[in-house]
Amino acid sequence: MPEAETHAGAEVLRVEHISKTFPGTRALDGVGLGFRRGEIHALLGNNGSGKSTLIKILAGVYAADPGGVIHAGGKSFDASRFSPDIARSLGLHFVHQTPALFPMLSVAENMAIGRGFETHGARIRWPEQRARAQRLIERFHIRAMPDLPVAWLEPADRTLVAIARALQDQEGEAHGVLILDEPTAALPGPEVERLLATLRRYAEAGQTILYVSHRLDEVLRISDRVSALRDGKHVGTAPTKDMDETKLVSMMLGREVERIRMEKGSAPLTDPLVSVRELAGGQVTSVSFELARGEVVGIAGLVGSGNSQVLRLLFGADPRSGGEIRFQGQPFTPEQPSDAIARRVAYLPADRALDATFAPMSVRENLSAVNVGRYFEGLRLRHGRERSDALAAIRRFAIRAASDLQPLSTLSGGNQQKVVLARWLQDEPKLFLLDEPSQGVAAHARTEIHGFLREAAKAGMTLLVVSSDFEELAQLCDRVLIMVHGRIAAELRPPHLDSHRLTELAHFAEVTP
Amino acid sequence: MTESTLTTDNSGPAQPGRPALHAKSVLFIALQRYGLLVLFVLSVIGFSLYLPESFPTVLNFRNIAGNQAVLAIVTLAAIFPLICGHFDLSIGSVLGLTSIATASLLSKYEWPLWAAVPAGVGIGSAIGALNGFLIARLGLNALITTLGTATVITGVITWYTNGLSIITGIPVSLTDIGSGVWLGLPCTLYFLAVIAVFCWYLLEHTPFGRYLHAVGANPNAARLVGLNVDKLVMQSFVVSGTLVGLGGVLQVARQGGGNPQIGLYFMMPALSSAFLGATSIQPGRFNVPGTILAVFFLATSVSGLALAGVDNWVESIFNGTALVVAVALSTILSRRQAGT
Repeated sequence: MPEAETHAGAEVLRVEHISKTFPGTRALDGVGLGFRRGEIHALLGNNGSGKSTLIKILAGVYAADPGGVIHAGGKSFDASRFSPDIARSLGLHFVHQTPALFPMLSVAENMAIGRGFETHGARIRWPEQRARAQRLIERFHIRAMPDLPVAWLEPADRTLVAIARALQDQEGEAHGVLILDEPTAALPGPEVERLLATLRRYAEAGQTILYVSHRLDEVLRISDRVSALRDGKHVGTAPTKDMDETKLVSMMLGREVERIRMEKGSAPLTDPLVSVRELAGGQVTSVSFELARGEVVGIAGLVGSGNSQVLRLLFGADPRSGGEIRFQGQPFTPEQPSDAIARRVAYLPADRALDATFAPMSVRENLSAVNVGRYFEGLRLRHGRERSDALAAIRRFAIRAASDLQPLSTLSGGNQQKVVLARWLQDEPKLFLLDEPSQGVAAHARTEIHGFLREAAKAGMTLLVVSSDFEELAQLCDRVLIMVHGRIAAELRPPHLDSHRLTELAHFAEVTP
Repeated sequence: MTESTLTTDNSGPAQPGRPALHAKSVLFIALQRYGLLVLFVLSVIGFSLYLPESFPTVLNFRNIAGNQAVLAIVTLAAIFPLICGHFDLSIGSVLGLTSIATASLLSKYEWPLWAAVPAGVGIGSAIGALNGFLIARLGLNALITTLGTATVITGVITWYTNGLSIITGIPVSLTDIGSGVWLGLPCTLYFLAVIAVFCWYLLEHTPFGRYLHAVGANPNAARLVGLNVDKLVMQSFVVSGTLVGLGGVLQVARQGGGNPQIGLYFMMPALSSAFLGATSIQPGRFNVPGTILAVFFLATSVSGLALAGVDNWVESIFNGTALVVAVALSTILSRRQAGT
């Protein structure tokens, strides 16, 4: 690509003095960054560092505070008046973690949607459409055929179809910037390799790529330069060849890190409630740990590390592909959630609306969803007893509802979460698996929820908690396991247990023996 | 009864931090819950005043009650899969099949009542089980699957009957029940009452009913609280098929024979009554009292219009309009309520 080479190194996109204030927080504070033609520029930062805010400003979804400037295509734009239309006209293309594709439509159709079909009058000219799709498939190295439904493609190829759709009208590869937001988070290992190799090829042909990822090993492998944000500020940009994982983490956290000696292999417990050996299934490759009675144990990990799936495997919600679980010394093989519930295991899913609540049903019915059978006595449901139990739970868990017969959907997020929590806690399970227990919950409700969990643990319940909020894990847990790529990479206990250490460990890819 | 606790709770003291329900929203809730009942009463009063000679007569009410019993049973059959979130379009044709089968076993094969009736009902259960298997176990779309089974059954009925009704050889003991009157009310109404109470009991007073509602509200969450979702969906179709089978037998008793075409006349009214019923008594939820109310509200109004000299076509127009208006009102009211 001779044209691209002559311009190599010139900046195609530059942002200056970008700030963004939300009520109560400053998400971005005077950020300035430049992106050069044909480079893969990685953007790193913790949760809350301002990465997603910056991307939303570039997409024109958020208006920046006045004073920021975006330079692109030889022009300068006021960042407070940037819009999705301007972003598109400048060739800024965004592809997200789970690309918006239509799985049942063909590759050719997916590529045409949003751009328009090749038509003759009102009629779609399928031969032209197919030929166009074929050219894109070749140009973007996709393993597909124009007529295949997208659902039949490998995950990496689906992402490539989304990229091709975004970039198809770009003349050559020299214009514009492709912005990828965690593109590998949902991909299995070998697929990640292929996607990275293909992206590398795009960059060599002159495509500028802004690559947002949590995975340090990927960033080190494919990027040319790397920038980090911390607390809304740009804290550094460096050529990737000068970096290693330790330096990247230091840059993100703003302090020197020494490789922490793992406290691995804590002494085996004498009478564990749960012992898991080489558990595998889905994203979980092989996981072993033990839990004592009354212990609160966290599992930290980045998106795709498999930490949520460990909970689902223990609950019988996802199929295991290997490993052994013992519960109270007995072999435990939950094939479906009811098997786990019968052994008094409880599970709070991360996605409340999708997996936990019965929105149109009443608070009372939501509270008794697991154990409504116990009110069936003398051939009828004892509604009175169900009601008094519901009212007791509403009082005990400080659920704000006008009546126990109110539909659950009329409650606030925090109160819905308390209902789901109360549903399980009132039965006093032996093991409570919690996925993001305080997600989408206001601060005071979060404090209340932590209180209930601590109280339950004090009474002897064992809790296994997954959270992307490492602060929460550090506050709540007696110890935290860190998962990387489907394995447990490390374990932290006080006094070493804090959110910074968890972040460091979760980012280090390789498992240190 | 759940309904009585509903009203006391709403006027009861509110928890701190949340305002008590306004008088206005209590009115909205009452309007939503009992609007159809009020309309029913108003239409009876209206027609009685307008047609004092023909409408408010024992004979007319007996006719309405006697004729609607089978439709009401088929409507109750429809709500079981609907509660789980699945349509059953085969109810009409299964009604046709079970009534033809029962009539034919009685007249052509001269089976005794005690054998023919369970056989007719059993055919209904078996088709429910087949639908349930295809939908729950194989994960097929319920609308398409039941459309398919309905079409096949219609074909089987036509093949077997050549489109002719079975009108002879039905034992008098059965037809007596169909046309008989006990204590001033049609016998079929007692059958309906027993079945309705049973359905109400199943849905409101057993864990099974609660599980069905949970599956319909959120199948993922239902699985994660330990319910066997597939089995429950399967069972809802078996209950539905069995109820339709009972309806088929009752239809033979009422008509004194089997008519191969009745399926057509039952499916749409049953589904629309089911949806109309879900807008009242327990709005937003398929419920037995609401369903019965919907069936009789439509039948009474249509009977009044017919007696007033309006042609047959008015039935469809009235049923359809009532359904759309009821759903629209119920949606608007619940939106207003959520906004208060």
